[in-house]
Amino acid sequence: MKICIINGSPKTGKSTSELLIGYLMPFIKENEIATYKVCEMDFSEAQFSKIRDSEVLIFAFPLYIDSINSVLLHFLIELQKREFRNKNTSVYCIINNGFYEGRQNHLAADIMKNWCKAAGLTYGQTLGIGAGEMLPFFKDIPLGHGPNKNIGIAFQKLVCNMLSLSKGEDLFISPNWPRFLWKIQASLSVWYPRAKKNGLKRRRLKDMAN
Amino acid sequence: MNILIHDLSKEQFQALFPEGYHNACIISDTGTIRHCTGCFGCWIKTPGKCVLKDGYENMGELLSKTEKVTIISRCFYGCYSPFVKNVLDRSIPWLLPFFKIRNNETHHKRRYQNNMQLAVHFYGEIPPEERETAEKLVKANCVNFYVSNYEVSFSNSLDELCREVTVI
Repeated sequence: MKICIINGSPKTGKSTSELLIGYLMPFIKENEIATYKVCEMDFSEAQFSKIRDSEVLIFAFPLYIDSINSVLLHFLIELQKREFRNKNTSVYCIINNGFYEGRQNHLAADIMKNWCKAAGLTYGQTLGIGAGEMLPFFKDIPLGHGPNKNIGIAFQKLVCNMLSLSKGEDLFISPNWPRFLWKIQASLSVWYPRAKKNGLKRRRLKDMAN
Repeated sequence: MNILIHDLSKEQFQALFPEGYHNACIISDTGTIRHCTGCFGCWIKTPGKCVLKDGYENMGELLSKTEKVTIISRCFYGCYSPFVKNVLDRSIPWLLPFFKIRNNETHHKRRYQNNMQLAVHFYGEIPPEERETAEKLVKANCVNFYVSNYEVSFSNSLDELCREVTVI
């Protein structure tokens, strides 16, 4: 089966979307897979042609302001303009967001549903995952275990539908990690250390630009 | 101060506002805008200011001085146009990286304490399901940007849009 994966993260370096694509790969490795990074695409006809010929199209991207980031949105518009040869192409999405609740990805999933309708494609399913910035901290823990338990279970369901070209209800999950702890760790393990690397003291993070 | 963010061409803007759009900061597509790269530099490097110097780096500060934001955007799949979405993506410096729980959901804390009103005017041929998504999207944006008063309208054409948009 021809599978095309679009990494919709606007980051050129490492991203949570890339990590999630990495989680997906072992499940689908028997297939013919092409992967593209939307922020590095040249929008060439050759690239679009491969995407338009795929039987399964997978989008992995982060939530930006309750929806899709502008780079991916632009790409979707361009892709729709070019029309798909294979109208049976099924679309699946893996969306991650910075908030704890995976449920907050539901509008981005609805936008993808609307895009599928506009492009004449079959919308398969979305997996929306919360606490995206935390996922790299758990990357060495196998899926289905510990904080990655929910993600592992959800991936199994998503992949099952992908490989049988079936539709499924959207899945919205959060890591198996207490929200209060996640909230504290976001400051202590993510924002403060990153600010420190830039030579900023904690209180400076609340500065107002003038 | 009021802000107008729009994706209209010069000709469309002049047709819509023949006497200009006064007393507002107008944010339009000058062709220089770069996309948010998710570096969070606006939170952890130059707090409150985007690190991309392209003329759109001060969105957080601009929003901090506004009472009303008006958006005119073509609707794509229930979302804004890429340019308008880009401006919104670049507006997170108005927020802080830290979280708070509101209505049992996590959201970012605000950097600034000003309260904004929001009016969003979508235009284009918009199917019902896209309208529904767009309405929900604006509502969700209002939650994240602490907007208490908002309105959303949909127009099939620029003429119709002309009747919808309230001139400040």
